[in-house]
Amino acid sequence: MEIEGYNMPDELYYEENHFWVRREGELLVMGMDDFAQKMAGEIVFIQLPDEGKKLKKGKKFAKAESGKWLGKVFAPVDAELVAVNEELETRPDLINNDCYGKGWMYKIRPSDMAEVEELIHGPEAVEKWVLADIEKYAEE
Amino acid sequence: MEAKYDFERKYREQILQCSRCGFCQAVCPVYGATLRPALNARGKMLLLKEVMDRKIELNDELIESLFQCTTCASCYENCPSGVNVPEILKQVRKDMVHIGSCHPAFRGMNEVLKKHTNIYAENEQEDFDREHNRKAPYVFFVGCVGLYREDESTEETLELLDRLEVDYTLIDEVCCSGVLEDVGYELNEDLARTNMDRILATGAGAVITGCPYCARTFNNKPQYAELKEKGVEILHVSQFLKDFDFGVKTDKVVTYHDPCDLGRHCGIYDEPRETIRKIAPNIVEMSHNRENALCCGAGGGVRGAYPKNSIAMARRRLEEVEETGAEILLTECNSCVHNLSNAKLRKQKFKVYNTSQFINELMETEE
Repeated sequence: MEIEGYNMPDELYYEENHFWVRREGELLVMGMDDFAQKMAGEIVFIQLPDEGKKLKKGKKFAKAESGKWLGKVFAPVDAELVAVNEELETRPDLINNDCYGKGWMYKIRPSDMAEVEELIHGPEAVEKWVLADIEKYAEE
Repeated sequence: MEAKYDFERKYREQILQCSRCGFCQAVCPVYGATLRPALNARGKMLLLKEVMDRKIELNDELIESLFQCTTCASCYENCPSGVNVPEILKQVRKDMVHIGSCHPAFRGMNEVLKKHTNIYAENEQEDFDREHNRKAPYVFFVGCVGLYREDESTEETLELLDRLEVDYTLIDEVCCSGVLEDVGYELNEDLARTNMDRILATGAGAVITGCPYCARTFNNKPQYAELKEKGVEILHVSQFLKDFDFGVKTDKVVTYHDPCDLGRHCGIYDEPRETIRKIAPNIVEMSHNRENALCCGAGGGVRGAYPKNSIAMARRRLEEVEETGAEILLTECNSCVHNLSNAKLRKQKFKVYNTSQFINELMETEE
């Protein structure tokens, strides 16, 4: 679905700070959504923590940075970090070019897969959330 | 021919002294990362000569060359003709801003500092759970990068000061704004006044800065002269720590990166090493060190305006760290820590710290 110029695929789940989540077997793949990458501009750094790191839902576990913007990456669910996209070390711009594909950031193993249903999902909920954030950031 | 710009009036002779020998090319971090001769000091001096000869205009087309310099002063250090390229470029940038040609990132930075207290336009300042603005013998002045980008390192530096029972206070600090002078603008007088009022209100006899650039600004800029006039000493944390005994040691192999703002710009090379030798006797030097240290690529506004090239410069420095076999890379500047940490690849297993942060970790482990 396209919402005011932002590509927000219907089948994905979204964490409120604009990180998307997709099921892949027993794992979840996550990355930055189109709204966030457009707001950030050219991404220059993505922190790639060591595999095995325990993630707690809603807690910061990594940083992302563009020229003058620093973003925090929050855990969408309780999980363990099992893989990172090492290509982002030298090609962080993959997030700007293909945020839902080659620009994926992390693979995590959730403690409880059912928690994913608590994330924002479904066309109606996603549209309402994105429109609210467009308004919020326009005011800032 | 009558001079059109201030840079000609001030630096014409120096620009003409450039003999085009290319010694600067070998040490210029921007050239090292881009391999573009128009971006090294010699290339910049050639462009300025053409401008002085009225063969080309000083305009937007020259922004990429003249605004892409970390002001690391490696070229000046190695120039047999003594051409002070960083100072020349600072004046050229002011002339360019005057005629309306400026890199948008730097125009933005100047605007941000008219409305915000820091270069990142962040609204919430980390308070480190410590008292601010109280009467104390020392003020610890963190600096923008330490407040908003490397707050974890700053927290550890403050913990170290606590362990050493230093009686310091933090203040509700604002950007020292010294960087504006590097990118074509003037230091922000309102911000300077705010910092001075808040420092003087504490009654402190000394300001310890976490940032070497802030120390340079407080020590050298006339807008901050009142601090010295009122007897307030300005010290970078590396100078402050050199006489302490920490009572801890590590066998790990460490190396030290000289920040340009502390080394080439202030001549401080020995104090950081004296401190390191006390806690890490296995110190090895990188192939470029002290006066010849490679720049991390973050200075002169380059990290904000040309981030890809900035990271590429840091990667060149990190290759030298790898060559030493060091397990720990120490430095004394939050901008260097930030850029080098961002550039470090996962396969590079050494860790990057400010020295004070590393000492605190060692002391914590001993407990």
